[in-house]
Amino acid sequence: MDILQLIQSNLLTPIILFFLFGIIAARIKSDLKIPAAISEFLPLYLLAAIGLHGGLEMRNTGFENMLIPMLVAIGLSLLFTLNHYQILRRLGKFNIFDSYALASTYGAVGAVTFSVGLSFLKNQGVTSEGYLAAVLAVLEPVAFIMAIFLTNMAVSKQIRIKKQSFTNDSKSDIDVGINETKTKLSKILHESITGKAIVILLGSIVIGYIIGEDGFSSIKIVFDEMFTGAIVIFMIEMGIIAGQRLDDIKKVGIFLIAFAIIMPTFNGIIGVVVATLMGLSLGGSVMFGLLLASASFIAAPAVLRNAIPQANPSLYITSALGITFPYNIIVLLPLMFAVSSLLHNPEGSIDLFNYGLKDLI
Amino acid sequence: MKLYNVKLLTITCEILAQKNIMEILTKHEITGYTIYEVNGNGARGIRGQGLQNEKNVKIEIILREEKLQDIVEEVSRTLFANFAIVLYVSDVGVLRTEKF
Repeated sequence: MDILQLIQSNLLTPIILFFLFGIIAARIKSDLKIPAAISEFLPLYLLAAIGLHGGLEMRNTGFENMLIPMLVAIGLSLLFTLNHYQILRRLGKFNIFDSYALASTYGAVGAVTFSVGLSFLKNQGVTSEGYLAAVLAVLEPVAFIMAIFLTNMAVSKQIRIKKQSFTNDSKSDIDVGINETKTKLSKILHESITGKAIVILLGSIVIGYIIGEDGFSSIKIVFDEMFTGAIVIFMIEMGIIAGQRLDDIKKVGIFLIAFAIIMPTFNGIIGVVVATLMGLSLGGSVMFGLLLASASFIAAPAVLRNAIPQANPSLYITSALGITFPYNIIVLLPLMFAVSSLLHNPEGSIDLFNYGLKDLI
Repeated sequence: MKLYNVKLLTITCEILAQKNIMEILTKHEITGYTIYEVNGNGARGIRGQGLQNEKNVKIEIILREEKLQDIVEEVSRTLFANFAIVLYVSDVGVLRTEKF
C-alpha cells in the first residue's frame, strides 16, 4: 500500500511529530507553552515567507497563467461554501448562524496548513507554482465575505417579516436595525481586506517580485532555510491548543466530526483533479487541493466573531483546529500527493521514494 | 482635599468584543479609557489561554452618571447575548472632575 506508506513516512517528519508532541504535552497538563508574542509572530512570519517565495516565482514565470487558476479557485471556494451550508443546515440541522460560520470556515483557507503543505512538498523534492501564494491571499476573504453577506441577507429578511407582522408601531427601531446591518457589512469587507494576514501576504508578494533572486539571497537564511524550523515551533503551539480542545470534540457532535473529515477530503481531491486539468504541476495540484481542503482557524474566529457573533465559536474553532487541521496534514496531504502523482504519471506507480532520492542525489 | 463623585464602569469581555465596545464609547463621545489583557474563568469556561483571539480584556471607563445609563443599556442590548462579558459599575472619587 503506497498511500499508507506515504502517510507513515509523513507521520515521522518533524512537523507532525512536534504537533503530536504538543498534543501530548497538553494532555498530560504540562505547563509547556510557546510565549504569546512568538505564537502571534510565527503566522505572520510564515505568511511573509510564503509571499516572498510566491513573488519570486511569479517574477520568473509571469502572471499570465495565474488568472484562470485564481478565478477557478474563487469559484470553487464559493461553490463549496454554499454546498457546506446546505449540508450543515439540512442534514446537520445546525442553526443558520452556525451553518454559515462553519460553511465559511471550511470554504476559507488555512495559511498554516498551506505552509505545512509547502514544507511537505519540499521534503518530497517537488516544487509548486509560486502564484498559488497570490491565490491564497485572494481566497482568504472570499468565503467569509459571502457567508457574512448571506447571513446579513437572511437576518434582514427576518427583520422585514417581523416588521410586516407589526402593523405600525416601533418602525423606526427596525429601520435602524437594517441600516446597522448594512454598515456592518461594508466595515467587515474593509476589515477583512486590510486584515494583517492579507496585508503581509500581498506586501511580501510585491516585495518578492521586486527584489528577485539577487535581493532574496541576502534574506534567504531567514525566509527560506528557517521556514520549516519555524513551522515546527509553531506546530508545538498548535498541538498544545488542539490538545486542550480534545475534550471539546465530543461536544461538537458526531455529525460535525464526520463533516470535518469528509468535506476536506472531497474538496481537496476535487481541487487536485481540477488543478491537474488546468495544467498545474504535480506539486501545484497538491497545493491547489490543499487550499480548497483547508479550514481557517486563525483568521476565522477574528472575522466571524464580529461578523456573525450569534454563531458558537467553539464549534468552528474546535472542528477546524482539532479535527480538520491534524487530518489534513497527517492523512489528506499524502493522500492528495498520491492522487496527484497518479494523475501526473498515469502509467507509473506512485514512486514517492524516487522524489526523495532525487533530492538527495 | 475635595473629591468629586463620578462613576467607574468596568467591562471584562472577550478580546473580540473590544472593538464593539470601543465603537459604543466613541458614539457616546467617551475618549478616556484603560484596557488591559486578562484571563480568568467564568460561565464560558477558562478564558485567556491559547489563541490570541480567545483572550479577555478588562476595560475601565471613568464617566459621569449622565452618560453611564445609555452606554450600559447599549452594551447590554448589543453584546450580552453573544459574547462572554461581565459589566459592573462602582462609585469613585476624582480630584479633577473637568477631565471626565
